[in-house]
Amino acid sequence: MQHPILANRTRLIIWGLAWLFLGIGQALLYYFAYGKFVNISIADALLSLLIFSVLALSIWYPFNYFTLGKENPLSLILNLLAIGVVSVVLWILISKGILLLLLPDRNIHQEYWDVTLLYRIGTGLFIYMLVILSYFLFVSLSNLSEKKAREAKLESLVKETELKMLRSQINPHFLFNSLNSISSLTISDPDKARDMVIKLSEFMRYALSKKDEQPVTLRSELDNLRLYFDIEKVRFGDRLTTDENIDENCLDTKMPVMLLQPLYENAIKHGVYESTQRVTIVTEAKRTDGHIEIKITNNFESVPSSRKGTGTGLLNVSRRLELYYGKNASIKTTRENDVYSVSLIIPSEV
Amino acid sequence: MDKIRTVIIDDETPAREIIRHYLKELDNIEVIAECADGFSGLKTISSMKPDLVFLDIQMPRLTGIELLEVLTEKPEIIFITAYDQFAIRAFELNAVDYLLKPFPKRRFLEAVGKATEKILSGTGRKEPVSQLLAKKPESAAPVNRIVVRKGNAINLIPVDQIRYVEAQDDYVMIHHLNGKAMKQQTMKFYEDNLPGTDFVRIHRSFIVRVHEINRIEPYGKDNHIAILKSGDRLPVSRAGYQQLKKELKF
Repeated sequence: MQHPILANRTRLIIWGLAWLFLGIGQALLYYFAYGKFVNISIADALLSLLIFSVLALSIWYPFNYFTLGKENPLSLILNLLAIGVVSVVLWILISKGILLLLLPDRNIHQEYWDVTLLYRIGTGLFIYMLVILSYFLFVSLSNLSEKKAREAKLESLVKETELKMLRSQINPHFLFNSLNSISSLTISDPDKARDMVIKLSEFMRYALSKKDEQPVTLRSELDNLRLYFDIEKVRFGDRLTTDENIDENCLDTKMPVMLLQPLYENAIKHGVYESTQRVTIVTEAKRTDGHIEIKITNNFESVPSSRKGTGTGLLNVSRRLELYYGKNASIKTTRENDVYSVSLIIPSEV
Repeated sequence: MDKIRTVIIDDETPAREIIRHYLKELDNIEVIAECADGFSGLKTISSMKPDLVFLDIQMPRLTGIELLEVLTEKPEIIFITAYDQFAIRAFELNAVDYLLKPFPKRRFLEAVGKATEKILSGTGRKEPVSQLLAKKPESAAPVNRIVVRKGNAINLIPVDQIRYVEAQDDYVMIHHLNGKAMKQQTMKFYEDNLPGTDFVRIHRSFIVRVHEINRIEPYGKDNHIAILKSGDRLPVSRAGYQQLKKELKF
């Protein structure tokens, strides 16, 4: 750990002011103790405390050494006491030398010294205690902020991991059925099979390549979506049609990659899978002040499905919105007259 | 020798195409129909009585599994699906064979070979499918509809219209808002596949929707009886009473 005072300018200033304050107290003490020599008392106190402050700064190093080692508290206390005694004795000896310079008269000097010595020992120990306490305070403060920083880092790591996990996995139904279509097309229409392999590859590359949560534009999301639809249209033929109504000024809005994918997978699953009629999936995007609204609509056949949906896709999208945008995004679904729609509102600038 | 009369049921055109293509090379197989949804598949099987059916699971109107549940005379089935843990279990128990999309030709011919052998030797599966379909993997969502057959009519009963299910020998009687319907299935199936938050098995022979219960009265020494909103009175076993207690927190 760095020196808590020397490494920080503000603390050094406060440290200095504190010693000045102590020095004034010390001067008053000497003055009242001996009753004469105002100037000498002031000079003595300030000089001796200046020395103590330098001494106190260097006490940090043995302090840090003894507190870092995970020794038992008793030996720590003994060590600190020893340092205290040594420091105070050292300080008093130095102070005496200085006083000799200030008060050359041997008799007055001795008398003044005798009267103030007890005060010197007392204040020396007291100040030493203050110094040690403040060092303890600095250590625990820095531990606390380190812990906070570590926790914040951990939290952002967890968030990042969750975001990665929430990144929609490629639906196995989609993948294997597409591969089966390709397998079939290699016999009936090899050109179309090749075309589909390329589209599937491009789609997969987009889905897999974005390793981190680098935001992408709505434009590239929509490009990728068209690939997805092209592939699905080979499987479903006339049963699936798509339409788009996108305002130009929405296209550069950034969003998490593959954010919309689970919503389209839902539209396919609950719309196309369950229907013998044609299902149309419409994507709309429009800009309103500061936000864009993306709306995905599909018609569906209103018969109960074989098994209930688990709602995973929608939950997934709303959790990603929450993690990525905080409270600035929302999702809403409506179901009316055999038409299902889901609306996302996200900030146009992040 | 008669040709094996075969029906292909899959909602995706390319998926049907490749099966048809592979079958073209086999002289002893004749494709008599193709269907693109479960409903028309069921009608076709019932009217044309094929020997062999290629059956997809995930289809509109009726899934392959539901179709199999309501078939009375069952042809040999080869299941074909992309990815479905539940279905794979069902195949293992019910079908001649199953194919996972996309399948190699060698594997396809192997499955057809097995089916052909079974059909020619006349040792078709006779046990009821319902017993075998009862198992449900932990992860599967509860059923949302029950498919029943009344003569030639097929009805879909939404699960939220079911009031209670009653065991009757090898069958269950499903009492719903618009009447009742019989189906060859086990109570175990309903215990496992109805949403557990809405239904409680109150007795060996009864599974009831909790909200249908009007009140519960003591009956006999240490039995109880549940009186439904409709006025129906259903016995409650001791274990069932404990279940109800837990569910209704009384």
